[in-house]
Amino acid sequence: MESNAGTKETRSNLTASDGGEVTAFESLQFTDEIHRLILAPTTDNSSSFTALLELPPPQAVELLHSPDSPKLIAASPPNVEDFQGSFRFPSNSGLIERDARFSLFSGEANNSNEKRNSPESKNVSANPEKNVKSEPAETESSQPLVSDPTVEKRSIKRKDRENKVKGSTKKSKTVANENSEDAEKLPYVHVRARRGQATDSHSLAERARREKINARMKLLQELVPGCNKISGTALVLDEIINHVQSLQRQVEFLSMRLAAVNPRIDFNLDSVFTSESGSLMDSNFPSLVMPAIWPEVQGNGHRQQYQHQWHLDTLQQPVWGREEVCNNYITPENSLLTYDSSANSATLQANHLKMEL
Amino acid sequence: MNKYNPPRMNPSSLRSRFATRFLRTLSKINAQKPTSSSSPTEIFRRYRRIKAAADKSMAYSVRSRRTWSRAMLWKLRTRPCGRRSVKTSTIIKSREARKTRHEKQNKNTTTTTTTTTGEDGVVFGVEADELRELVPGGEAMDLYNLLDETAHYIKCLTTQVQVMKKIADFYSP
Repeated sequence: MESNAGTKETRSNLTASDGGEVTAFESLQFTDEIHRLILAPTTDNSSSFTALLELPPPQAVELLHSPDSPKLIAASPPNVEDFQGSFRFPSNSGLIERDARFSLFSGEANNSNEKRNSPESKNVSANPEKNVKSEPAETESSQPLVSDPTVEKRSIKRKDRENKVKGSTKKSKTVANENSEDAEKLPYVHVRARRGQATDSHSLAERARREKINARMKLLQELVPGCNKISGTALVLDEIINHVQSLQRQVEFLSMRLAAVNPRIDFNLDSVFTSESGSLMDSNFPSLVMPAIWPEVQGNGHRQQYQHQWHLDTLQQPVWGREEVCNNYITPENSLLTYDSSANSATLQANHLKMEL
Repeated sequence: MNKYNPPRMNPSSLRSRFATRFLRTLSKINAQKPTSSSSPTEIFRRYRRIKAAADKSMAYSVRSRRTWSRAMLWKLRTRPCGRRSVKTSTIIKSREARKTRHEKQNKNTTTTTTTTTGEDGVVFGVEADELRELVPGGEAMDLYNLLDETAHYIKCLTTQVQVMKKIADFYSP
């Protein structure tokens, strides 16, 4: 109730000054009033809230530029349910001030009504929510909040929004740029285009795709050791290709080793597991496999001694084969020997989590 | 009785699944060949089988969740007889690919510097093709999915290498 009364007050105040001089200074006054109003009812009465929010910007706009008050009010149907962002009201006044200064807004206000349903419209409303969460201190990032109630209504792909947030927040450099962009956005602007960039749907989609790919490349860079220092996507890809090839070669060599080394040895899985479990930190192997192999183990227990002898004998003969292999591919063998499994297992676990996310 | 309680890890992790399967297959392979294991051809044959077993067990550990695992399983199933010819031909092909790649790299370094501002699809043209060759099933994927598959494939390959290395170290002191 208080908020409704407050809105009525604002309306009366604003309409009273409507006939008067409409200058940037008056907009400042309005923003102060709005500021006060917004700060006062910080309750969870969302409908009145959004009504509050929706009123100030269109009112401010209207006062600044065109006396089309009914048009604007009608043009911004309050889809209150969509508005769920965190409310940074103090910054809104700052935003309104800036937008008042930049007169781009007026043109947009008229165009945006037509543009509302255009396919090029991109919703920026999700941006402020995320921006606010990530960079709460920045007023620039919280500027689009004012556009929330009106822009929220358009539903666009969230990914595009997020991508544009990241792209724009990373690459927005000057305050002037940011303001010019925000002025365009408020309240019916759809596209968050960086300065000097095309705003076609095609290029935006491509940009979103590129950013997705860059995110994947970063993940790959973390996976592949030694890729963090390389800058340039082509070189990173080359490194990745090298890494995959080396891994495949390692698998081949290891399988060759296994083929050469174990001609006669029955795999005593329990012993393998108990030794592996300490190093691999997988202790549930024995429980899994033991019941299956107990009869084998008992039968083969006495054979182990023979196997050791055979082991030595058979090692000598395939050595020449291994030497040939080793001469040609020394580096993978060295990488095998120096493979720090414990460290890699730890990193692998971290990567597991990332991958599964 | 030693009460050895090693640190507990996820029993259904990729590593444990792969290790279990691979060891089972290895024991099967070794059980099947009690004779003439010293001849190089036998060793070579066994190496092939072990490698196929390793790939197969890795692909099975991943099930069909990933494109590369599905492609690898399909490959392993549909080409059991032509393994040898496939192996040599793939070796030759990989060598040729490596040579051409080195040649292309010199060209690419010049071209990529000029085209970095352009689309990423254009820049990654050659490397993406090579990556597609390496990753099983990569021929029919776009760049984004290819990178995704590559990341998972690298992760699985590293676990495979680690487990096999452990086994090999265990059996060859």
